[in-house]
Amino acid sequence: MMDIKTDVGVDLEAGVIKIGLLSDLTGPFGPLVSLIVAGQEVFWQNVNDNGGINGLQVELEVRDTQYVVDNHVQFYEELKDEVVAFGHSTGSPHTVAIVPQLQEDGILAIPLTWYSGWSDPDLNSNLLPHGAPYCIEAQNMIEYLMKQAQANGVDNPKLAIASLPGDYGLDSAAGAKIAAEALGLEVVYDGSGTIIPTDESTFTANADAIVASGADIVWVTATPGSFSSIYGQAIAKGFQALWGGAGPTFNPAFVAPDSPIKDAIARDWYQSGYYSNWFDDNPGSTEARELFAKYRPDAPPQDFYLEGFIEGIIMKAALERAYENGDMTQAGVLAAAKSLEEVDFNGMAPPERYTGEPNERLQRAIYISRPDPEGLAAGTSTGLQLIEELYVSETAQNFVFEEACYKLGG
Amino acid sequence: MTPDILILAQEAADSSKLAATIWSGLSLGAIYALLAMGFVIIFKATHVLNFAHGALAALGAFFVASFATIIDVPGRWMPNAPAWLTWGLAVVLALIAAALVGMLLERLFLRPMVGEELFAVAIVTLGIDIVVRNITNDWIGTDIRPLGDPWGTNFFDLGFVRIAHTEIAQFVVSIVLVVGVALFFRSRTGIAMRATAFDQEAARAQGINVGRIFAISWAIGAVLAAVGGIFASTFPRRTGVDQATAFFAFKAFPAIILGGLDSIVGAVIGGFVIGLAEVAAGTYLEQFEFLGTGFGGVVPYIVMLIVLLVRPYGLFGTEEIRRV
Amino acid sequence: MRGRPLLFTSYEADQALMPTTTKKVALTVFLVALVLVPVYDVIPFAPDFLAKDDWLKVLTNVMIFAIGALGLNILTGLAGQVSLGHAFFMGLGAYTAAALGAPEGPLVGLGLPMWIWLPAAAVVPALVGVLVGPTAVRVRGLYLAIVTLGLVFIGEYLFRNTESWTGGSQAGRTFPRFQFRFWKEEEPLVDFSRKGEWFGIELSNEAKTYILLLGFAIVATLIAKNIQRTRVGRAFQAIRDRDIAAEVMGVDEFRYKLLAFGISSAFAGVSGALLASFVGRTIPERWDLLLSVQFIAIILIGGAGTVTGTLMGALFVIALPRVVQDFTAWLSDKIDAGEGIIAKVGDVFIATSGDDFGIVNTLPGTGPGLSVFQLNLVIYGLLIIVFLIFEPLGLYGIWLRVRNYWKGWPFTY
Repeated sequence: MMDIKTDVGVDLEAGVIKIGLLSDLTGPFGPLVSLIVAGQEVFWQNVNDNGGINGLQVELEVRDTQYVVDNHVQFYEELKDEVVAFGHSTGSPHTVAIVPQLQEDGILAIPLTWYSGWSDPDLNSNLLPHGAPYCIEAQNMIEYLMKQAQANGVDNPKLAIASLPGDYGLDSAAGAKIAAEALGLEVVYDGSGTIIPTDESTFTANADAIVASGADIVWVTATPGSFSSIYGQAIAKGFQALWGGAGPTFNPAFVAPDSPIKDAIARDWYQSGYYSNWFDDNPGSTEARELFAKYRPDAPPQDFYLEGFIEGIIMKAALERAYENGDMTQAGVLAAAKSLEEVDFNGMAPPERYTGEPNERLQRAIYISRPDPEGLAAGTSTGLQLIEELYVSETAQNFVFEEACYKLGG
Repeated sequence: MTPDILILAQEAADSSKLAATIWSGLSLGAIYALLAMGFVIIFKATHVLNFAHGALAALGAFFVASFATIIDVPGRWMPNAPAWLTWGLAVVLALIAAALVGMLLERLFLRPMVGEELFAVAIVTLGIDIVVRNITNDWIGTDIRPLGDPWGTNFFDLGFVRIAHTEIAQFVVSIVLVVGVALFFRSRTGIAMRATAFDQEAARAQGINVGRIFAISWAIGAVLAAVGGIFASTFPRRTGVDQATAFFAFKAFPAIILGGLDSIVGAVIGGFVIGLAEVAAGTYLEQFEFLGTGFGGVVPYIVMLIVLLVRPYGLFGTEEIRRV
Repeated sequence: MRGRPLLFTSYEADQALMPTTTKKVALTVFLVALVLVPVYDVIPFAPDFLAKDDWLKVLTNVMIFAIGALGLNILTGLAGQVSLGHAFFMGLGAYTAAALGAPEGPLVGLGLPMWIWLPAAAVVPALVGVLVGPTAVRVRGLYLAIVTLGLVFIGEYLFRNTESWTGGSQAGRTFPRFQFRFWKEEEPLVDFSRKGEWFGIELSNEAKTYILLLGFAIVATLIAKNIQRTRVGRAFQAIRDRDIAAEVMGVDEFRYKLLAFGISSAFAGVSGALLASFVGRTIPERWDLLLSVQFIAIILIGGAGTVTGTLMGALFVIALPRVVQDFTAWLSDKIDAGEGIIAKVGDVFIATSGDDFGIVNTLPGTGPGLSVFQLNLVIYGLLIIVFLIFEPLGLYGIWLRVRNYWKGWPFTY
């Protein structure tokens, strides 16, 4: 360990590497992000028990931003003098807010959002995005749903779009519109950005508009709570169509044994994902399950743990490359991460590369699942059954990245 | 191009859309009315403006989810009983638990505040809201918790409007509770509560156990909040209780202000008016681009402001008589 | 008579900002200590952790919240008008600042210097405050609390929908930096947002920002104190204590209530503009009810109606989460080490592994027990309750008792 350069967050004498996590643990996405943090904790526990990063033990410094930008910036300042890199940074406006500081301080962060803007060279320099962005995801799914509708005998399916405002909803809605144009689908209702999660009346209005539009395919990108309300009110009016939406829209509780909508949603819903499911039999998911059985035997099965593993694998690859380079300073880890030609996730997510042009780096593959109430009741699935692995539609394949599908304001 | 206002007129003439809007406004209004009634009872008897009402609603709904689905009590001991019976019993248990929590909160945090400024007491309930909401959220955890009600997604189709079974149940329960509360105020305890509301010291001098009245009013308030929470978390409005449920109750504020802080009738009417206004604005005004997104959601507050400009104590509230 | 403590022979002397020499000395020492915080790491015996960038940010936040809270204290503490609408006026100030001060770009921004955008961030909310005032003046007590609560929701709706000003929901926009310029010249005269050397001392941008905000907070405190102890302040208090009596005595209730709204909104606007600029980027959802509640908590925990209390409240409410966080981390380290009485007691409270019981769980997302972050919020809620029940005068009341105890020491009376 003689010639390793270090500055902040790596202590060779104590044998410790510190990684920061900017998480939303009590805010609107708290339920999901706390699972992701749990995934990272188990991942690193296992790495540490098997010798760590060349003998260095990895410690996580978790901070709860409550999904408030101020707190995010505040905790970034607190941690930048303690950690070598950020294992995730929750939220797009939040991450955009710290990008100038990341660039000034030369620190690496993994964004925990699938915003297409992360491929933009202006934002990309200190970030390691992973998974297909919302915009690409929507392009994949709209084409897939169109083919499903056509297989069901609807030749020219009509599309309805509804989403939250902000990067998440609007990036996804923009992708759906790109696909609709490429495929010649008619958009009969465009409710981009019209779902306000704290405003009950927007759910009713959206449900009414979707029903009135007579769409065959509905693309909703929202929170699980607001989606379930829109969906419930639409089917209560006797509406039936193929439904899909960005990954975080779905919650496994929809197909729980006591859920009123479990049969309807099992019939209607197509779930897309940036990585595979907890109970899939690829080596990555299998190992994750074994590790949870070992370190957190009481934890209920959840797909989101895998996201924690994926972030961990990326960070581990960066740290190991930095160690090989003999430079474990904050800047050294950043440089090492940006030289990774391939990060492999053992089959639980599509491999990522962090070198080359934006279009070479851009991830286009997604996973598609169907709701699985029987599996959830029997304890053999998290409520989702994988039907397509590494799916890339023609639209997504032909998509040329020039700028973010939805641009965050200045 | 047809002017927007003409489209609006045409849409209003579309009777099935109108019927659906009215129905969904009334069904939302019934929930607001339940929540508002709980507020008003607590305010009337104890002069506490309860900001923790939403947290109590979420907690009550979570108790139902716990008893009916998570720990399955009493269902686990009566495997052959029909679903409506076990669920009904679970709800009764949950409401008892909610009432106990309400009484406990009153005894612990609000009894020491008797006689303090109304504003200070209201802020205490803001503190209670933060505490109860965060503990409830920790219990609810990451998932949406279904309540396991027996109505499912079934509905009656009347041709021009479809009515979910839950909505029927909600109406029946609301009416029963409104009548129940009205009758309660004619009972001995109810009269004692009215006396307490009028003048706590005088009531005490008449031999009324004011502390007991406070406890009862908080128990009733918590139960009404819980019932509101239950219907806010069932199909078609939701599929279960989650961490966002606690925020639902804020819309009941315009309802109680509209009706007047201390009027039960006002709360019920206010609830329905606000529910109707919100849904109608959401359905009919969404097409006006300049109004932007989510105008329906602020209509209750705008209605409230307008009413207060005309009548500073709401439609049915008692005007405060001020002396030097 | 000279030299006798607390003997004032004139009203002016009684109402002076610093009536005694002791106070003058104490205050001077205190202010010098505050100014020197960024160089605590080189001063012996000083708490050097405060000089680190992250604690400087916490302290800067305290200054910003103190400015806003001083405003609410004038409205609620002095004039007795309960407002939950503070967050709305803060947002208004922030977006005024952004529209005038942010560089030209896709969103509205004129790139004007700070000496324009900061005063404007006070003026615009004050005008709006006076405009909505008449509604607020008509209603009283708890009705007013709910009306102002409605203002927050209406404000959120407006901010969400004025995308060219605010950047839109969940997207947000950037805000002007802390830089002094004459006009739109390239190089700012003084740049607080970049590190550099001042008077031979190398200072980080956090340190510079802290000193700037400390200056603003001192000015705001002086203004607040002067409002309180002059004619206007006394009129406010008269309205608070008995509005009809005040009116009979010639205090124009309507005018003074409007004035209170205006002043309080001006403070809120400045505080909002400073907060947004300090963070650099913010979303319309930031200006929500929780923010308003935070300000109510500050003045209640500090002691409503007192300037000193308000400042103490700001320090307490803003720094508390950080203290709880550090304390829990320290405690779980002790437990992991497993030795001593602290570990035994702490273990009851903290769950450090999956099957361990504890009120607090250090493993987020799994198992029962509150996370440290939920614990923080629960403590915050409990503090609001406990202060109101046991110490209605807040921290200021405690401070008074401590001070009086030492004044009489060693006598207990």
